[in-house]
This record gives sequence, C-alpha cells and structure tokens, in this order.
Amino acid sequence: MRAQYINPFLKATMNLFNNYLGLHAEAGKPYLLEDPQDLKEVSGIIGLAGETKGAVVLSFSRETAIHIVSVFAGQEYKTLSNDVLDGVGELVNIIAGNAKKDLTDYRIEISLPGVITGSSYTMRWPEGIPVVCIPLTSEHGPFSINISLKDMV
Amino acid sequence: MNILIIDDSLVMRRIHKNILLEAGVTEKELLEAEDGKAAWDIAQKVSIGLFLVDWNMPNLNGLDFVKKLRATETYRSTPIVMITSEAARYNVVEAVQAGVTNYVVKPIKGQALIEKIGKYLRK
Repeated sequence: MRAQYINPFLKATMNLFNNYLGLHAEAGKPYLLEDPQDLKEVSGIIGLAGETKGAVVLSFSRETAIHIVSVFAGQEYKTLSNDVLDGVGELVNIIAGNAKKDLTDYRIEISLPGVITGSSYTMRWPEGIPVVCIPLTSEHGPFSINISLKDMV
Repeated sequence: MNILIIDDSLVMRRIHKNILLEAGVTEKELLEAEDGKAAWDIAQKVSIGLFLVDWNMPNLNGLDFVKKLRATETYRSTPIVMITSEAARYNVVEAVQAGVTNYVVKPIKGQALIEKIGKYLRK
C-alpha cells in the first residue's frame, strides 16, 4: 500500500482531533499491523468501495472512547452507552469522508459506519490487503487509525 | 419556521440541535429524523422551512431524499443544506446537481455553521 493513500487519513484524523475537538493528539510512526486483529476494545469501522477497496478502523480503549465522545458530543458520558458507540461511528465516518478530498485519483464510496466492542472480536479485513496502523496519543489515552486500501496502480 | 435535522447519528443530531438552540432557534421549531425515509414522512405532515440533511444514511440516503424533495411542488425551492463528511469535489457537484442550496463539510464548529446557514434562519 502506498504512503500517498495513508496521508489523507492521517491529515483528516489530525484535523478532527486537534483542530475541531481541540485535543492534543500526536501521531506516531505508521507501521504494518502484523496481527490485523490487534485492535482495542472499541472500534469504529468504515468500508471503502468504488474505484478502490478497503476499510478504515478507528480503535480506542473503552475509557478513551468514552472521554473522546464526551468531548465530541459536548456532554459527559460515564459508560460505554449507545450514544458513545454512535459517536465513535460518526468520528470514523468524518475521517473517511474527509480523507476522500485528498484521494483525488479515485471515486470512492464509503459505507455506513459500524462499531464493534469487546475484548476478543474478529475484524474481517478485506482479504489480501495489508493493514497500516497509525498509533496516536492524546490526553485521553492512546488510540489508532488503521487503514487497509488496495493499490490501484 | 420549522427546521428538520436529518442524520442517522443521534450524537450528530444533538450537536446540530444545540448549535441551533444557541443561535436563537426555539425547541418547538426543531424536528429530527434518523434517515431520509423518516424525514420524508415528516415533511408530508408538517411544513418545513429549512432542511439540514446528512448524506450517508440507511433506508433513504440524503442525496436521494433531496432529489425526491425537489421533485415536489411544495419543496421545490425550500433551502436544503447538506451537512456531511463527504468532502470529495465530485460529491459536492453531485449534491448541487441534486438541488441542495448549500453544502457543508463536517466537522464544522457552531459559529461557522451558523455563518453558513444564518441567512436561511432569518427568512
């Protein structure tokens, strides 16, 4: 997978968390996720289709998801409620939709977001496409954005 | 004037609702729908003066909802603002061709949103 596919997702993520939510998120070095199931307890998923194929997963620990969605929604949540799950879905939806602006070579359709939770779920990534993980840190804990996008060229 | 907020995300609807309440819109003027289908049903029963519509929704998506609305006599020229994460240029073009009045890319802060839609609120 080319670096040029990763940068739009990183840019959209930083814009959402730092410029919009006013957090202090910092991105670490992207790496190939050797175990594609190596995700945290709460994951928001968007499928990508059209002139490319892939998926984007925003993955948080339970506590980080609750805190970040509280900032997003402007109200404090204490538990992993349906509102928090809805908020996680919306966050990944914003990242995927915004990234399309810079993926100008293709027409991409994004799916409705889905959110999965638990300590031992299995994520069905698109087959045969590597997953790149961008680790992030924030004042509400670490999280990651994971991208699997088929090379088109 | 009735304003219909259409978004499948409950959190997003709440964010938009709070922004509008802070801008002086009353609770009574605000209506909500979770997808285009539910919005269509509401718009047949209640006169809507402004639609704020998301794009990606189940059942009837925002784009098809706008096309359906524009085909009616009642809502041929009612302001429709699409508020979506879909930031690609071809999305904007498609939405404008379908008949949206204004196109706003999420995330957008409250003040910026009001600057974009304020002219429709004052009508």
